[in-house]
Amino acid sequence: MADHHAAAATTHGDGGGHATVRTYVNVAIMLAIITAVEVTTLYVPGIPNWLLVLGLLVMSAIKFFLVVGFFMHLRYDHPILRALFVGPLIIAIAIIMAVMALFSAFLLLPRHVL
Amino acid sequence: MADHAATHAVHDPNIGNTGLDNRKMGMWAFLGSDCMFFGSLIGTYLAYKGKSISGPGPHDVFDIPLTSYSAALLLASSLTMVLALSNLQRHRVNSAARWLLVTALLGAHFVGNQVYEFTTFALHHGLKLSTNLFGSTFFVLTGFHGAHVTGGVIWLLILVGLAWRGQIDARDYTKVEVAGLYWHFVDIVWIAIFTVIYLIP
Repeated sequence: MADHHAAAATTHGDGGGHATVRTYVNVAIMLAIITAVEVTTLYVPGIPNWLLVLGLLVMSAIKFFLVVGFFMHLRYDHPILRALFVGPLIIAIAIIMAVMALFSAFLLLPRHVL
Repeated sequence: MADHAATHAVHDPNIGNTGLDNRKMGMWAFLGSDCMFFGSLIGTYLAYKGKSISGPGPHDVFDIPLTSYSAALLLASSLTMVLALSNLQRHRVNSAARWLLVTALLGAHFVGNQVYEFTTFALHHGLKLSTNLFGSTFFVLTGFHGAHVTGGVIWLLILVGLAWRGQIDARDYTKVEVAGLYWHFVDIVWIAIFTVIYLIP
């Protein structure tokens, strides 16, 4: 009984509340739609490069946070667990930007502009 | 209620001073470090992007429809993983084992697609690890991701085997949840790789 109680508590996380199966399915549908839009935009002619790159990055970020927030339950979990992931994630993004800046590699603007 | 939880915490060796399960905390710390690992590999790929002095380049070899299919497989596997957890939480161990098996099969299919992709690159386009900067950075990044997925598939199959032998029940929720966290992580890494490596021109 105690173990079952513990299992349920862990499931719900320490922030209270938890996602339902319906929520999971809705998130999966959203992920599928965003992925379809991402791939489709590649085949649409006339989109400026900067807009295409920005749009793809934004859609990717939305998918990322949907999975982390709902499927990984971070939205409902304890702040310590959130900090354990978000802190290194910020460092990882900083590493990517720093390396790209060091090598003068930029996604949004062509190199001759910079 | 609080006393009950406190008593339980004293007896459960997995609950640390924070009141959180050590296994779950350890997994989140590992995933944080893995974020930086993949961040370095993605940064390196982007830094060298377009700087190869000889071909083939990304747009000579990429098969976007195949990669999109692979991305869909991993996204679907994330849904089946949470369905496994949801069933285990409701004491439906057999259903949970079935969803875990589906998750593992989707992951194995992803790895199979990657093997096919790598083989095609090597045999039809002459792109190998040492061919040019693109080959080196691409194979190291996606290869490490594929290795992560392969590890996840093995982990999931072990859990399926344990469940079928009756060695996992709802009390072992955290064991499966930790595997799920790892599995979702390989999914989010692929979300980043798919966009940054394959889709961005």
